[in-house]
Amino acid sequence: MQELSAAPPAAFLLLLCLSVLLLPAAAAPGAEQKLSPSSRLAAGAARVALHYLNFQTASPGALQALGQVRKATLKSIPDSGHKYYLQFTTEDYKSGENAGSCLATVLYPKTKSPPVVSIKCMQSKDQRQIQEEDNRLYQKLRHQTKPITGNNIPDSHGNIEPALESVWALAVAGSSYIMWEKSRENLDYFMAQVKSVKQWIRKDDFTEFDYTVLLHEIPTQDIISCHMRLTWLPGHPLKVKYFCASVNHGLEDGSGMESGSAAGVLHEKGPNL
Amino acid sequence: MKLGLIFSALFGVSLCLETFVGHQVLRIKPKNEEEVKKLQHLETMGHLELDFWKNPTAPSFPADVRIPAKRVPLVKAFLESHGFEYSVLIKDLQVVLDKEKQDMAQSQQKDRSTATFNYGTYHSLDSIYAELDHLASAFNDIVRKIQIGESYEKRPLFVLKFSTGGRNRPAIWLDAGIHSREWVTQASAMWIAKQIASDYGKDPSTTSLLNKMDIFLLPVANPDGYVFTHTTNRMWRKTRSRNKGSLCVGVDPNRNWDAGFGGPGASNNPCSDSYRGPSANSEVEVKSIVDFIRNHGNIRAFLTLHSYSQLLMYPYGYKCTQPADYAELDDLARAAAYSIRSIYDTTFKVGSICKTIYQASGGSIDWSYDYGIKYSFAFELRDTGRFGFLLPANQIIPTAEETWLGLKTIMEHVRDNPY
Repeated sequence: MQELSAAPPAAFLLLLCLSVLLLPAAAAPGAEQKLSPSSRLAAGAARVALHYLNFQTASPGALQALGQVRKATLKSIPDSGHKYYLQFTTEDYKSGENAGSCLATVLYPKTKSPPVVSIKCMQSKDQRQIQEEDNRLYQKLRHQTKPITGNNIPDSHGNIEPALESVWALAVAGSSYIMWEKSRENLDYFMAQVKSVKQWIRKDDFTEFDYTVLLHEIPTQDIISCHMRLTWLPGHPLKVKYFCASVNHGLEDGSGMESGSAAGVLHEKGPNL
Repeated sequence: MKLGLIFSALFGVSLCLETFVGHQVLRIKPKNEEEVKKLQHLETMGHLELDFWKNPTAPSFPADVRIPAKRVPLVKAFLESHGFEYSVLIKDLQVVLDKEKQDMAQSQQKDRSTATFNYGTYHSLDSIYAELDHLASAFNDIVRKIQIGESYEKRPLFVLKFSTGGRNRPAIWLDAGIHSREWVTQASAMWIAKQIASDYGKDPSTTSLLNKMDIFLLPVANPDGYVFTHTTNRMWRKTRSRNKGSLCVGVDPNRNWDAGFGGPGASNNPCSDSYRGPSANSEVEVKSIVDFIRNHGNIRAFLTLHSYSQLLMYPYGYKCTQPADYAELDDLARAAAYSIRSIYDTTFKVGSICKTIYQASGGSIDWSYDYGIKYSFAFELRDTGRFGFLLPANQIIPTAEETWLGLKTIMEHVRDNPY
C-alpha cells in the first residue's frame, strides 16, 4: 500500500483545499497532478468508474467493488473539465475476494452532466462462471409462481435472506446506473439499502422489477430515496428508469431514463478526448 | 484462551468473507483404518476447501466436514466411488445460519432479563443500558457508571469510568454512536468495554495502562437518535432536537462543535443530514461532553468512533492545513492502522480528516485538539460501502477486536508519552 512519503509540496495542498466546493483549484490547463492513492478524489473517481462498469456489464454475478487505488493522476482539460487517470484493484462485490484490476479514465465535465468514463479491467473470475451464475439467478427469477416482493434488504441487522440475494444484486447493478449519472467530482454515492422490491411478471423473457432504493450521498450525508424500474435478461443491457427524491429536500433531485443502449460487456468505452 | 482467540478469529474471517449458501455438512463414518487415512489425506488437499468440524481419527468414529457448494459434487463422487458411508447432516448451511439469526433476533427482544448479553448482535438502548449496569457491578473494582448529562429527549448520557484509583489521573476519552445509524460503533464500544474490564489484571498492556490512567467510555453519545433508528428510521444520523422555524428535526452532532463552526463542510439547512445547528454546542449531547472534558481538566486523548469507510484520522477537518503535531499523529495513526490490520487484514486509510474524507467544520476531534488534547483521533470502522451502515451482526466482534488493537496502540503511546 503506497504511503505518503514526505509532506507534499505546499502548492499541492493549496490545490486540494482552497475550494469551498472541495474541488481542486484549476491547475494550469493541461497540467498533470499526481494524486496520492489514498486521496478521496481518486477513490471517488474510481468508484464512479466502477458504477459505470457494473451498470454496463449488466451482470449481477460480476459486480465489483473498489479494492485499492494504486495510481492516480488528475489533469485539468481547458473548456472541458477535470480528468482522472486511475489504476485500481477490485473486489467481488458480494464476497470481497480479489477480483482483478482496472485502468480507467473519468472526466467530470464542467457542465453539470454525468461523468464520462472509460474503463478496462482484467478480472480473475472466470467469464463462464459468471455466465452460469447469471443464468442460475435468471432461472430462479423467471420461474417464480408468485411475483417476488421484499422490504429492507439488508434488514437493520445487515441480514439478507438467501431468497432475496439475487434481487439485491440486481438492485446494485441498477443503482449503479443512477449513482454513475448523479456522481460529480465532489458528490459520491453508495447504495445503502433496498427499501422495497416488487417483481412484475412478464410474458416475454425479460425479468422486471420495481425498486425503492436508498442511496447514501457523500459529503452531504443525505439519504436519497430513488424509485427504480429495472428490466434484465442475461447478455442484454440493463434497462433502468428512475426518479429520485431527497428525503430531506423533497422533490427536487433529478430523474433519468435508461441509456442501456451501449453493449453490456466490459470493454473500453467513452469518447476520445 | 489464545487458541480460542485464533479459532474465533478464523471463524470470524470465514464468516466475514463468505456466505454459506449451498454448503453441505456431511457425516462420514470410516469403516477401517484405510478409510480413516484416506479422509485424513483429503483434509490436506487445500483446494477442496474442506472444513472438518470433527476430524477423522479412528474407524467407527464419524468425521463431520463442511464442504463449499461448488465442491460438493466432486467430494461426494469421491466418497461414493471409494465406498464411503456418509450421510448429509446439513443440506444448506446458510439456511441454518439464517434461522439462527432469526432466532437470535427474536430472543433479543426478550433478552433484558437474561444474565448474558450477546456482544455479537445489535441491541436496543435499554438492553445496552442494562448491560452497563451489569458491567459496573461485575467489575465494580475498576468500573463505575456515571451520568454526564441528558439528551434532548431527556435520556441519560451514561459513561463508564475505568479506574484503578488515584485522584483525577490523566485520562483517555472514547465515544461511540454520535451518529446514531452507525450501529457497529455502539456495538463495538460495548465489546471494548467488556474487554477492558476483563483484561485488567490479565493483559500486561491494559493493566499497565489502567495503573497509570483512567478511561472514560461513552458507548451511546446520541441515545435519542439511536432509539429513533430502532423505532422509525434506521438511517437517522442526527440528534432529535427541534429546529425553530423548520419542520425538519435534528442537528448533525459532529458539525456542532466549536471548531471552525459555520465554515465549509456543514450545512445551514435544518433538513440536511449535515446541519450544523443554530450555534456551536447548541446540542445538549455535545455540550455535555464539552463540559465534562473541561471540568475534568486532565484528558490526554480524545478518541471517537464512526462508521463506515475504514479510516483512521487526525485533525483538521475544518481546514486543510496540517496540525502542529502532524508528524507524531501521522506516525501514531499508521502504527494503529498496522495493528488493526494484524488480525483480519482489514486495511484502514490514514490521514487528516480534510485530506482523507472531506472538509468538514464543527467536528469533535478538531475541537478537542485545539482545546489542547494532542492525541485526537477519529475512526471510521467497517466496511467500505458494501453494507455500509447495515453491517451484518456477524462482523461486530471482528470489527471490535481489530478496532481495540488500534485503540490500544494509541493508548499505549499516550500512556508512555505524558505531556
